[in-house]
Amino acid sequence: MSQFFAALGIILVGGVFPLLAGRQMKVIKATGAIGIAAGCLLGVIHAINAVWGGGVHTASYRYLHIFELSFRLDGFAAFFLVAIFSICLLAALYSYHYMDDEDRPRRTASHYLLFALLTISMALVVTANNMLAFAFAWEIMSLSSFFLVLYNHEEEANRRAGLLYLVFSQVGAMFLFTAFGVVFAHTGSFSFEGFATLPDNTKLLVFCLAFVGLGSKAGVFPLHFWLPHAHPAAPSHISAVMSGVMIKVGVYGIVRLYLLLDFSSLVPGYILLIAGILSGVIGVVYALGQHDLKRLLAYSSVENVGIILMGFGLGMIGAATGHSTMAMLGFTGGLLHVLNHALFKSLLFMGAGMVLHKTHCRRLDQLGGLLKTMKVTGTTFVIGAVAIAGLPPFNGFVSELLVYLGAFQGLTQSRDLLLLSLLAIVSLAVIGGLALACFTRVLGVAFQGEPRTEAAAKASESGTTMLLPMIVLAGFCLVIGVTPDLFIRMARGAVISGGLVEAPLAWGHSWNLANQITRGAAIFIGLIAVLWLLRTLLYRGKTVTRAGTWGCGFTQPSPKMQYTGSSYADDILAFFKNIAPKRVDHPPIEGRFPAPTHYRSEVDDLAEQKIEPMVLRPVHWIFEKLRWIQHGDIHLYIGYILLTIVVLLFFI
Amino acid sequence: MKAYLYLAIAMILAPLFPGFILKTKAFFGGRKGPPLLIKYYTLIKLLKKGSVYSQSTTLLFKLGPVVSLATAIMALLFLPMAGQPAILSFHGDIILVLYLLGLGRFFTITAAMDTASPFEGMGAAREAYFPILCEAALFMVLILLYLLNGKLSLTAHFAGTTPMALWETAGAPLLFAIFALFIVMLTEGSRVPVDDPATHLELTMIHEVMILDHSGPDLALIELGSFFKLLFYAALIAPLACPVSLAHPAATAGVFLGVLALIYVVIGVIESVMARLRMDRVPMFILTSFALAFFAAIISLEFVV
Repeated sequence: MSQFFAALGIILVGGVFPLLAGRQMKVIKATGAIGIAAGCLLGVIHAINAVWGGGVHTASYRYLHIFELSFRLDGFAAFFLVAIFSICLLAALYSYHYMDDEDRPRRTASHYLLFALLTISMALVVTANNMLAFAFAWEIMSLSSFFLVLYNHEEEANRRAGLLYLVFSQVGAMFLFTAFGVVFAHTGSFSFEGFATLPDNTKLLVFCLAFVGLGSKAGVFPLHFWLPHAHPAAPSHISAVMSGVMIKVGVYGIVRLYLLLDFSSLVPGYILLIAGILSGVIGVVYALGQHDLKRLLAYSSVENVGIILMGFGLGMIGAATGHSTMAMLGFTGGLLHVLNHALFKSLLFMGAGMVLHKTHCRRLDQLGGLLKTMKVTGTTFVIGAVAIAGLPPFNGFVSELLVYLGAFQGLTQSRDLLLLSLLAIVSLAVIGGLALACFTRVLGVAFQGEPRTEAAAKASESGTTMLLPMIVLAGFCLVIGVTPDLFIRMARGAVISGGLVEAPLAWGHSWNLANQITRGAAIFIGLIAVLWLLRTLLYRGKTVTRAGTWGCGFTQPSPKMQYTGSSYADDILAFFKNIAPKRVDHPPIEGRFPAPTHYRSEVDDLAEQKIEPMVLRPVHWIFEKLRWIQHGDIHLYIGYILLTIVVLLFFI
Repeated sequence: MKAYLYLAIAMILAPLFPGFILKTKAFFGGRKGPPLLIKYYTLIKLLKKGSVYSQSTTLLFKLGPVVSLATAIMALLFLPMAGQPAILSFHGDIILVLYLLGLGRFFTITAAMDTASPFEGMGAAREAYFPILCEAALFMVLILLYLLNGKLSLTAHFAGTTPMALWETAGAPLLFAIFALFIVMLTEGSRVPVDDPATHLELTMIHEVMILDHSGPDLALIELGSFFKLLFYAALIAPLACPVSLAHPAATAGVFLGVLALIYVVIGVIESVMARLRMDRVPMFILTSFALAFFAAIISLEFVV
């Protein structure tokens, strides 16, 4: 573990040093980026070793002489560490050219400190081994990311996003700490060991309470809607970290809690599976309805968390029914998707960051044609889009296939499980199709066709440290997709090491799966190469010319005539109008001399709409009734304090 | 070895079958119709030509035809024909095939979006929409087949000693599955009543409008890919509808080809007697296939548990 803490130390140094660098922008960025990247590199090497080694490392420290903070690193936690450190490493590199606020060096420097704290706290959450350490790291994670969301606090939208995020993370933390409190009331210790000794009903209560807290961080529907506000507000590499790994820390918490509570009932599996199905389908439908590139990516994170939860839920159901093949497939698929999503989502956020950096525009319908001017960004974005749509030969397919196979295993168990598995399979299929529609839309509108605005037309890409991480991430997407063997074994090792599945041999039909995928991918890539060669031969010596796009006889086309993102998604959204209501602002064209008109459509988030009447107003009403306690009279306040002390003296 | 031979025959014959559709339609229209080999002539004609590319396009436009053809060929590699095991097969291969076809669709759509043409964007949006419902229906059929024999590979379902058969234990649900697959085939193959390959109005097209800007050998590759894709779906239905296994493999193969030809004739009949649906009716039509497959899965529970 000492190497792990050394890595965290280096990251912290990388965070503090920029503050001392005064106004030297280059020094600030270089020390921050290199410090964090170096620490993450050390951390990722250690984490990979820990996944392969499979051993358990522990460490504990006294804090303020009474509290003990203890940490434990097993294979399962190490797998998350791999994702956290590798994404933060690339994000730190990316930040070097991305952060160009020349006139605000202090803000850039404090951004590096917060970034370092965020990285450290995420690593500490997944290694925490008692409630105190977990709560401590969890709060640092929430607060450091909150300040990062406020990086551009001059814009009102960002301040609102930050506030929403703060409320969500604190209310979530409240639920989590209530759960811890319930456990503490039973066991009288902060240790994680006591969780398993709780009575069954209490276990369920603790799980549900903590699920609200952890699930809101993970972006589970209907607790997700802070995410599309907060993630896009942060600088793009921070969005990549938040969407790519921070929400996975919430998922980690859920699964760790499940492990600690040592459930024998089916309920947690059902909860996760149903929450996963809802988040998956609804997340991608909302993603399809977005006009803002970064918001769209954030919604797509909700979808992918859904897929991850479906995997874990199927795994838990398999474990509870004693079906170890199903458990193994579900857990491995879910865990591998954690890594896969971290890779392609960071890649896409970095691509979006490049677009934002160069065009200062996030609206899809104002972009276009970027693939021609931003070759590397465009190409890696295409790869990320194919991967996130779950298509072979890229990595998203591998984890989704494992989840599919797990769900198919569930079909033959029992009648009620049949229905859920059936639902899971069909939703996965629908999610796949919708993700394809969603990302062909992003590509087609923002990166292809003709530029719709001046800014999009003039965009060009630059910044080696921004391009390099994208290339690396795209490379990994392909590598995992073509040769998944190593990575599936890594995820499997983590699942076994974490104690999620007892029988290490439970793998059923799927022994050979990775090799089959590799073989299929190899044949496919070979086939493409052959066909490309054939195509080149067929075109040899032929006249190949360039002309305008066929306009069906219309000779004055303009970029404005292109199909917009709104039109592209309109039919599909109409199909889902019950969960994604569309708001249209379009004054009708009337009279002989019609006034100028416009068309604006927005897809509303149902959860965001309903929280006002269903949660906020009742809560507000209750507090309205309790208002008399707060009257502003200082004498009575002192009376409250005395009363509290007297009551405490009586009861303790 | 036999599987390779079958694959070669299937790939050679794939452009022949759409000729049957045209002949059937001509018969209904009281015309003589084009020759059976018309699609071969078209392919050869296209291969001889050069191309004109739109100024808006990038490499993705040229990649589209290649990828869509490659994915269609991959699907054929996993397809068992006439009861013969496929060249490639593993537990879960059918999911890979469906996702590969999805990849083909991804690149067809990006190729269309590359042209900046509003018409092609419209076609692309429809191409992105309808197959979502098709996939749901297809996975429902997969669930049905999995419930019946606990396997998840095309070869396990349609080849070997215990292929799925209409007159075996679960014939009734399989009949539903055949209908469901037929609807999916019509959608994925861009046939009436979902799409009309013979239409000449860009606003009403789906697949055809997406390839407006492709020409020459590129267009030939796309056409070939769509022939293969249609053949793939037809060859999924054929063994379900007529799981004949004769003593001589050549006889079995003959029957298989006959059934395939029959399926194409049925497509031709449908195209002749039906108008295409209004665009907003299409989802309902496709969801019918989902509902059928769903009922089949529920009914089949009676047979397996």
